[in-house]
Amino acid sequence: MPAHFYLLLTLGLYAVGAVQVALEILTRKRLLSRGAVAAAVAGFALHTAGISQRWSEAGHFPAVGVHDAVSLLAWLIVLAYLMAFVRRGPDALGFVAYPAAFVLVLVACLVPPAADTDPLLNSFFFPVHVTLAFLGYAALFVAFAMGLLYLVQEQELKSRSPRAFYYRIPSLESCDTISGHSVMVGFGFLTLAIITGLLWSHYARGRYWSWDLKELTALLAWSIYVGLLVTRWRTGWGGRRAALMGIVGFAAVALLFVWTTVLSDVTGAAR
Amino acid sequence: MPPAEPPRRRATDEPQGELHIVGVSHRTAALPVREALAFPREARDGALHQLCDLSGAGEAMILSTCNRVEIYARCQGPDAGQALESFLCVFHGRAPESLAQAIYRLRGADAVHHAFRVASSLDSMVIGETQILGQVKEAYEAAEAAGTLGSMLGALRNRSIAAARKARTETGIGAGAVSVAYVAVELARKIFGQLTGKNVVMVGAGKMSELAARHLVSGGAAATVVAGRTMERATELAASLGGRVLPLEQLRDALSVADIVISGTGAPGLVIRTADVEAARVRRQRPLFLIDIAVPRDIEDTVTRLPGVFLYDLDNLRSVAEANLRERRKQAAAAETLVEKEARDFIDWEKSRDVVPLLVELRKRGDEIRKAELAKVRSRLGPLSAEQEQALEAATSAIVNKLLHPPTVQLKEASRSGHASEQISFIRKLFGL
Repeated sequence: MPAHFYLLLTLGLYAVGAVQVALEILTRKRLLSRGAVAAAVAGFALHTAGISQRWSEAGHFPAVGVHDAVSLLAWLIVLAYLMAFVRRGPDALGFVAYPAAFVLVLVACLVPPAADTDPLLNSFFFPVHVTLAFLGYAALFVAFAMGLLYLVQEQELKSRSPRAFYYRIPSLESCDTISGHSVMVGFGFLTLAIITGLLWSHYARGRYWSWDLKELTALLAWSIYVGLLVTRWRTGWGGRRAALMGIVGFAAVALLFVWTTVLSDVTGAAR
Repeated sequence: MPPAEPPRRRATDEPQGELHIVGVSHRTAALPVREALAFPREARDGALHQLCDLSGAGEAMILSTCNRVEIYARCQGPDAGQALESFLCVFHGRAPESLAQAIYRLRGADAVHHAFRVASSLDSMVIGETQILGQVKEAYEAAEAAGTLGSMLGALRNRSIAAARKARTETGIGAGAVSVAYVAVELARKIFGQLTGKNVVMVGAGKMSELAARHLVSGGAAATVVAGRTMERATELAASLGGRVLPLEQLRDALSVADIVISGTGAPGLVIRTADVEAARVRRQRPLFLIDIAVPRDIEDTVTRLPGVFLYDLDNLRSVAEANLRERRKQAAAAETLVEKEARDFIDWEKSRDVVPLLVELRKRGDEIRKAELAKVRSRLGPLSAEQEQALEAATSAIVNKLLHPPTVQLKEASRSGHASEQISFIRKLFGL
């Protein structure tokens, strides 16, 4: 089966979870929670098969261009969600993981994969660097989304006449905790990704650092997260400030994602 | 010699008669009437026996809560409801005429529907409240202990309780707190998630704040009581909550470690000002949940301008409770449909019970004839192989089964449509049973 076919099936299965989230917000009932998890597991298996198929079709680690990038990101987000589900049972993460996975795979289905076979892609550092970066993106996306939910929930509670969101969004504390853990994990991966990126740059271009837009954005994002972690470390609770910083930090990360996938193809940037 | 056990009444088990319900509820009778007709727990056993003796009920159960008094009984005859009603009045020494307006009588399918709706709290004053299910269970248990619970009420118990649970999990009738104290607890959970290790500070010691604090403490929070006017009541309360007590002068110390504050003093002016809260807060990033249930209010309204501070006064809590109640009412429609279907299933099942004895008899009779005839012919056939024996068994069984199949189907269908009794007597005549 071609990789694209796997991806379409995956889209259908992730849609179950996305529909559940929509229903939950609208009706305040948990209608499909088990079915959605089962569909996510099946979707994840097919997604894995699709990515490995794409890998063998492309002949290099599939992380070139928008198609690969969003597909891989969705795969990691679902992986993170399923791991959290196994550890802690159903919780708030599904709220952001299902819609995010659905939208990302939808984009992957619409955009054809890039046909690029640069010999540089076969270097050892490329798959390692890209995987680490994407793990970081996935974790930081979760932090961003939970921060957003934190702000919405805080607004609901402050209003003193909470509406539907109040009931569906988890408690402030769990938004804060999940967001905080995700930042720690994401920051770790981001740091490692920057280090391996420097090494790859050295291998490909003969120099570690070249002051290009991508590197500067990475540095900016990294500094924002350092600030965020310090805030958390000092108070033990991130609160509103951490939520806002998580959102700003992710904006930098999203920009980084755009630089690397949409505007410049990876190898071009590497030269 | 030890005194003999009093003879336990055995509920009669012939599937005769139908369900009758006679009673009063918050919909039909004011509190004094409900109180007058209530059956205290210790009187229930005697009342059940008396009820069966006087009204001739085969099975009986009494549900007596502060919102309703109902007699459930399996009885026969057109006057059964009347008999139950007069028992209810006579037992409490009331003239039946004076209660005619308040008492309702239900029978058959209506009674079954009612029993299901009551257990599912769809007939409650507050839809979706959880107490009624416990009270219903307890009433059935009391009837079981008194020996007046037979197969019909026993089945009604299982089915109606299962339906109530299903309605609760599959619809939102139980979702959202509808009392002020519970709304406060729910809000605390929405802010803090886990209550373990959180500090609740009570200022003043009213009934409502005590109720809210008790729920928070049972969720794992630690309580501090700041005395209002008298130290005495505060000390007492702190002891019962397993917390400590502080005089009003140390309010600021208490605020500095508080996660949740419940204020309900009788003070005429403000007790907690915005400046106090701002000065006292050490951990500014952490949320602080202030609950003001005092009238006039204790906490300055501008405190909500502080980041991470949430203030709810009595009106706010009430409006959340009302919003939740509206949502429950919306959900009630779905629950009604579900419960009605469950009740109808029960009624169908109940009807099919009429024909079960006949079906058993029919099958038994067929098998007797088959065995007798087989025994007669068997001696003439001489020794047979195992396969031949088996074939003979199978062939004779098949004849009986095929002959009895149409009347079986016919009876089951008739029982579903409720016209089984004529068919039963006809088939009995036909097969000489």
